[in-house]
Amino acid sequence: MLKGHLDAIVLAALEAGPAHGYAIIETIKSRSGNTFDLPEGTVYPALHRLEHAGFLSSTWTTPANGRRRRVYSLTKTGSAALAARRKAWSRFSQAVDSFLGGGRTWPA
Amino acid sequence: MAGVIEDYVAALRRQLDFDPTLAQRLTSEVEDHLRDAAESDPAWPSSEAERRAVQRFGLSRQIAAQFAADAIDRQVRRTWLTLLATVIVTFIAMRLRVIWLDDGAVSALAPLIDRCAFIVVIAVGVIGWFSFRRSFLALALCLAGLAASIGAGFVRADLFAQGAPLPVLLTAAGEMVLIGLLSFRIVGLGRRLKRTAVLRGVAR
Repeated sequence: MLKGHLDAIVLAALEAGPAHGYAIIETIKSRSGNTFDLPEGTVYPALHRLEHAGFLSSTWTTPANGRRRRVYSLTKTGSAALAARRKAWSRFSQAVDSFLGGGRTWPA
Repeated sequence: MAGVIEDYVAALRRQLDFDPTLAQRLTSEVEDHLRDAAESDPAWPSSEAERRAVQRFGLSRQIAAQFAADAIDRQVRRTWLTLLATVIVTFIAMRLRVIWLDDGAVSALAPLIDRCAFIVVIAVGVIGWFSFRRSFLALALCLAGLAASIGAGFVRADLFAQGAPLPVLLTAAGEMVLIGLLSFRIVGLGRRLKRTAVLRGVAR
């Protein structure tokens, strides 16, 4: 189930600012309370897919006392895509919630 | 002796051999990632820390298969666009030849092959686009049909013997360039489809 939402999760992880692959995985784990414990490598196909779609941009950077890293940033198109996916998810989760015992009817 | 991370990165590079640029870029990124992960392991420095980092990263074949599958969609789109461009240029070239050149007396079969092959290409192309977009066979049939139509068109108009005007020669050159590009794209797509099937099969 997570696989279908991985692109949106990666976009959301980059909302706070540019980050490299390892930091993105760490953000996903910590923000989900370790619920999203997916194989770390699966984030890279998603990053490349999102970059091809124009939702992310990336550059190589070398910190003063560290190794060279490819850092990804959200583009304007990516921010718009994230907002759209958030909206769609909100509607979808409300609808599922009303079926699976949330007690609310949908649409509200 | 190479470490666990070096072995993993080398295996990933081999599995991404269908796209050398991607392989180069990704293996650098993955190596950085694995080193960060290993260094944050309580057992660092040790091969056990590297082994755990690699284990958390996932099977290299699964990652390579995902990249191959993503790349296929882009490659399919490019191939069909090239086919469309070839069909349009071939159609324009056919019309120009009819306007400016006489049918040569080389072969009575040539006009028939020219028309029929082109119609077959249009039919297979339309059906393929709507129903079998990833079909290597549909694209290969279109390529064969276009090659037959273009070849027959050249014979039909006795193109090189008649001293054709510049627009006719230019469109003929365009046809040849596009048919070459289309062949290149279709062969590349065939290889990619085969490679992806192998990676997916083994990764399962």
